[in-house]
Order: sequence, then structure tokens, then C-alpha cells
Amino acid sequence: MKHFRVIGRKGVGAVKRKAALLICVLLVFIAGCWSRRELNDLAIAVGFGIDRSGEQYEVSVQVVDPGEVATKRPGSQRSPVTMYHAKGKTVFEAIRRMTTVTPRKVYFSQLRMFIIGDELAREGIREGLDFLSRDHELRTDFYIAVAKDLTAKEILSFYTPLEKIPASKMHNSLDVSDKSWGPTAAMKLDELIKDLVSDGKEAVLTGITILGDPEEGTKRKNVQMIDSPAFLKYSGIGVFQEDKLVGWLNERESKGYSNITDTLKSTIINAPCPEGGRVGIEVIHSKSKMKGKVRNGKPEAEVEIRTEANIGEVECKLDLTKEKTINRLEQEFEKIIQQNAEQAIKKAKSLEADIFGFGEAIHRSNPRYWNTIKNDWRRQFVDLPVHIKVDVKIRHMGTVSSPFFNQLKE
Amino acid sequence: MLDKGKISTRQLTIIVALFMVGSSILIIPSYLATYASQDAWISALLSIATGLAVLPLYIALGNKYPGKTLAQFMEDILGMWLGKAVSLFFLAAFPFTMAAFSLRNIGDFMTTQIMPDTPIQAIHIIFLIVVIIGVRLGLEPIMRAAEIIFPWFILLFVCFVIFISPQIKWENILPVLEGGMKPVIGAGVPFTAFPFMETAVFLMIFPHVNRPDRVGRALFWGIVIGGAVLFIITMMSVLVMGPDTTARLIYPSYALAKKISIGNFLERIEGLMAIIWFFTIYFKLTLLYYISVIGFAQSLSLKEYRFLTIPLGIILIVYSILISPNTSFWFEMYTTWALHAITLGLVLPALLLAVAAIRGKGAAKAAATSASEEQTQPDT
Repeated sequence: MKHFRVIGRKGVGAVKRKAALLICVLLVFIAGCWSRRELNDLAIAVGFGIDRSGEQYEVSVQVVDPGEVATKRPGSQRSPVTMYHAKGKTVFEAIRRMTTVTPRKVYFSQLRMFIIGDELAREGIREGLDFLSRDHELRTDFYIAVAKDLTAKEILSFYTPLEKIPASKMHNSLDVSDKSWGPTAAMKLDELIKDLVSDGKEAVLTGITILGDPEEGTKRKNVQMIDSPAFLKYSGIGVFQEDKLVGWLNERESKGYSNITDTLKSTIINAPCPEGGRVGIEVIHSKSKMKGKVRNGKPEAEVEIRTEANIGEVECKLDLTKEKTINRLEQEFEKIIQQNAEQAIKKAKSLEADIFGFGEAIHRSNPRYWNTIKNDWRRQFVDLPVHIKVDVKIRHMGTVSSPFFNQLKE
Repeated sequence: MLDKGKISTRQLTIIVALFMVGSSILIIPSYLATYASQDAWISALLSIATGLAVLPLYIALGNKYPGKTLAQFMEDILGMWLGKAVSLFFLAAFPFTMAAFSLRNIGDFMTTQIMPDTPIQAIHIIFLIVVIIGVRLGLEPIMRAAEIIFPWFILLFVCFVIFISPQIKWENILPVLEGGMKPVIGAGVPFTAFPFMETAVFLMIFPHVNRPDRVGRALFWGIVIGGAVLFIITMMSVLVMGPDTTARLIYPSYALAKKISIGNFLERIEGLMAIIWFFTIYFKLTLLYYISVIGFAQSLSLKEYRFLTIPLGIILIVYSILISPNTSFWFEMYTTWALHAITLGLVLPALLLAVAAIRGKGAAKAAATSASEEQTQPDT
């Protein structure tokens, strides 16, 4: 305590006052943080695209103009978002070079959509992805898509009706179509990297393309007309071998893909009726299980798809009051789902890309055997027998029973 | 004793649990997944078991010299001068170095994930000021603060686990034991050292516990709670993100918190979740710093310990900056630190116990008399 008494002689009050002063001075310098950035210093990026441009990367960023997005303002002639682009030998360099054209530093935490140009996707995407997973500003909750036959820049310079910010349009529409349509793959960064790294599963990315006249879409006129001349549209699933885009699944195959990988939440399937016309069901619940096993030294896979559905529309004569009709319909739909899945597998086999993760399923069930075939998996996959079992249960049929078609005169 | 504070067995359990979780919660999942991939959780269980198996050693040592801290009974066992030398070395190399590591862990985390342009020194200084305030107040206030904050820690942690659980994919931990037991044990050894062996520093606060007979039980439950938290966070990281991603990330727990998204509105709460390790690192650091300071004061036979807090704090800040040149250092440090922690946290206490046993009753009697002398002496 002696130590303190020495100070005490000078007067505890003086020391306290000095300490208080010191703290006040410190507050000026150390309060808050160095990395503090105010909202009006930020250029909030919502869309981000990478293209190949010769030896370099061309990076395009869609940035929100906050003043234009605010709802209470009367519509002005300025566009709600702006796009900046810059080239660089690496992605990071291109982004920093962008500061020569942007008035503010680009801020990535609110990123909604990441678009990879078709050309870059075919050459390989691995180099471009590291920055995205390393930078602390980026989260992993944005979706990734490939610009089908286009550059990312073209996709990002598009006017979209209904949703002012095109990148959130793309994000929401992928969300919705993933939940209620099926043949899209809503991929996030961590899932993509996981598939790229995995030996027993190849990556997929959903494709985005322009429906209509691409020229019109970049003009403001596109949102001033009732029937917009051009739309952004998700179309098919892009298949990757390692990190290179090698082909596309069409809509049916994509549905089969979603079904096998258990990412299908809801979709519409229709089948022909025996006497002409079609009947459509809405899948309300779908669950699939994948099993890999080894029989007689050969790998095999088994897929079990269980689907619950409601009848959505009937455009033919059917007696829905009979259980027999329902049973027959169930069989019909089982066949269609099975065909979708088989076609998806056939396409994947022709591209030599195991996008379903059959390899991983075999790895899980028999790790020792997997180690012996893992380096040769691409060729093994082409000959892999896959047994698909489909079980469809039709539960409800909406608010009417038999369709009014039954009473119509021929 | 320099600090007359008394702590209850419940407070001991709480501080041991917080100490165990400490900065390990940030680092351990990545480390275990790197070596044991999807079997990281088995490594975690093995380590908890090993950590508990070492416990009787500490208890035996503590019971042999009731009312004395490690720094004090080292002098009884090894003689005054050798005892002082060994205890000063132990304090500098173990709790004090660990304190520097913990401080650097929070500094590195902040500059990597949250405030990359902020100088790390600023974060260290501000964090350590709060620690020094705690240490100057003494053991009892630290323990009471821990007691108050512990339920919040548990609440946040439980929320964390519940919020992330919808994203669990069970196939991420399959196949079990793909590479056999070897990588699992290999990953478990450094985890046993960090943080389980580090509990040796609690020998410095045993005499403060009001029910010395129940110290063992308190320590046991503290390790079980802390170990369970680390086990769960490792399990969750692997179940949600898969072993590859977990291994690749520097701070998997934070990445896990970033992934929380419930119904599109309960998301972006990782800042809130980071409070979990702010609490645990604070208590680990405060306890380590307290032990270092009071241990130095005891070994140097000082009458007061508080005046040491600021000069040692300045040394600690410089030490924590100099201790690691870059992030890569930490990856190599795990194995080195494991040897270090096993030497000081397992071999040294075992040696002390052995020497004490060889010297037999004579030493024990001397200890008893010096303990009673200690009690009759006025403290300040």
C-alpha cells in the first residue's frame, strides 16, 4: 500500500482528474473503430460478375443507388442501379482498380447474386472463387449462376420489371423457382466449393439467360412497357467436370436431377390421359434417398424417390371418384418421374460427370472400396448401374372431384 | 495470502468451464477437422476422457499441500531457491504465455473478421484494460462476474446450436473411422494439451476454494461442461459445413454463426454470437493474468500484487504482438504447444508429486509448519 501513499501525497483528486483527461483524449482516438464506414461512403454491391477477357478477368459489379431505390421518391430518370466494370489479372486487382471509376468503395456484404460468364465457366472457375471465400466482407448467402451463352456483364446490365434491383430479382426468382418449380439449382458458395473439392461429386450451377431481345433489356424502355420485350430467365442446370462447364441439362433432366439429389421441394408434373388430354399433379412433398453399395466387386447405386402429390388440373375425362383411377394415375406418374431421373443420369453419364454424388454415397457405405476406385471414378460412373424406385402417392384433388369434362358432350 | 478472496465450488466449476471454452471455441473445430476429418467428434470425446484422467494428479498435488498455491508449495518440494526459479519459469512459460496467446487470439479474430483496418495493438490494449481492472479487484469479484455472465453464455450457446441445427446434414460425418484410429488419436493429442492440460494452472487458486474436499468434483464438472461445449461446436461445424470446409476455415465457429438464417429474418446475427467467445476469452485471459501476477508476487515474496498489473500488462501487450509473426505460425504452433503444455501441465506436476513422495513425511511436516506460519502472518 506504501506505493499508493506516495501518489496520494500529490493529491488523489489531481491524479483522478489527470486519468479522466487521459481517458477523454483516448476516447477521441480509440473509440469506434478504424474500419468504420458510414452508409454514405459505401457503394453497396448486389450483383457481382466475372468474365474472361483475354488473359485478364473482367469484373462487373451492380451497385445500388440508394436514392433511387427509396420508395417515397417520385420516379426520376436515373436507373436504380449502376454497373461498374474493370479488368485485372486477378479478381482482387480488378475490384480495387474499380475505385478509379467508382465514387465510393464497393461494399460486398449485401451481395445477392454472383454470375459467372459462360466463357470463364468453360475454362474453369476455380481461380475466381478464392477471393470470394477469403474476403471477410463476403458472406455465403448469395446465389451463384452461370450466364448461359452470355457474359456476366450482359446479365448484370439488365433492366428488370417489378423488382427495381435486378440482382434481388434474380435472387428472389431463383428462390421461388427452386421452391415451386424444381429444375433449378440454388447454389451457394460453400456448397459449390464443397462439390468442387469432393472426389465423388461434381458441381452444378443453374443457368441464367435472356429471353427476348438482349438489346432491349439494357434500356429503360424495358420496364416502361407492360409486356417487357426482354426477361432474365433461369434455364437448365449447367454440369461441371472438375471446375469446367461441360454441358447443360434441359428442363426435364434438371427436374430429374433435383429429384435424385433431394433438392426438389415442389413442382408440376403432367401425364397423358388414356383418352387424350392431360392430367397434371402438384408435388407437395418429395423425399429421395440415395444408397451406394458394392456387389460382386462392382459399385452400384440405389435411389428411392417418395413423392406425395395433389391433383392440380384434369383436362380429360377421368372418374376420380374411383380409387382405381387414382392408383392408375400414381403408376403413370411413377413412370414419368423415373424417366426424368433416368434421362438426367443418362445425360450426366454422357458428360462423364457424377453430379448426383453417387461416388460420395459409395464412399459413405464402403470407404475402403472407394479408395481403390476413387481416381478412376469418372470412368466407373459411366458404367454405374443405378436402380431407381419411385413411389407416388396422390392425396388430394382440390375442391372438386370428377372434372366437368365428364359431362361435356363429345 | 496476498488475496483473501474465497470462492465457492460452484464458482470454480463455472470458471473452469469458461476457461476450457476460452479461445479454443474459435480454433479447435478447424484443427480437429484438419487431422481427423469427419471423425473430429471422436477425437473430441477421446480428449475429454484423457483430460479427465489427468485430474486425479492435480487433486493429489493440491491435497498434499492444503492452503498453498502451486508457486508456494514448489518451494516446499524443491527448496526455496530452486523452487522459486522453477515457479517463476513455470509462471512465465505457462499462464503468462497462455495469456499472450489468448490475447492474440481475440486480436487476430477481430482484425481478420470484423475490423480489418484496425491496428491489432488498439484491440489488445482496450481488451487488456478491462482485464487489468478485473485483476486489480481480486479473485472474488472475477468469480462473481463469471457467475453472473455464465447463464448468458449458456443461453447464447444454446440459441446458437438451435438456430443452426436445421442445416445439419448427417451424411457429413459418414463414413465413420475411415482412416482408422490413428488420425483420430493424432488429432486428439494437441486438443488434450489445449485446453485440457492447461487446467494445471488451477493449482494456483485451489486454496481459495471454501470447500477444499469438493475441489475435485467442481473441477470434474467444469471440464465436462467446457468439453461438452467444445464437442458440440466441433460436431456442429462438421455436420453443417462438412469436414473439408471446416478444416479450411480459420474461424469455423464464426462462419457457422454467419450461416444462421431462420425464416429470412433471423439472420446476420454472427456479431451477437461472437459475444460467446468474447465472454469466454475474457475470463480465460483474466484468470491467467491474475494467476501470473499473483504467482510472481508470491515467488518474489512481495507484500502486494496490484502494482504489478500495469507493468506486466505492458509486457503482455508487447509479448502478444511479438509472439506470432503471421497466421501461418498458429498452424505449426499446435504441435509445438502440445509438447509444451504436456511438459508443464502433466510432466511437471507428476515430477513434483514424485519428488514430494520421495522426500516423504519430512517435507510434508515442513509444509504444514510453514503453512501455519503463513496463516499467522499479517498479509499487508
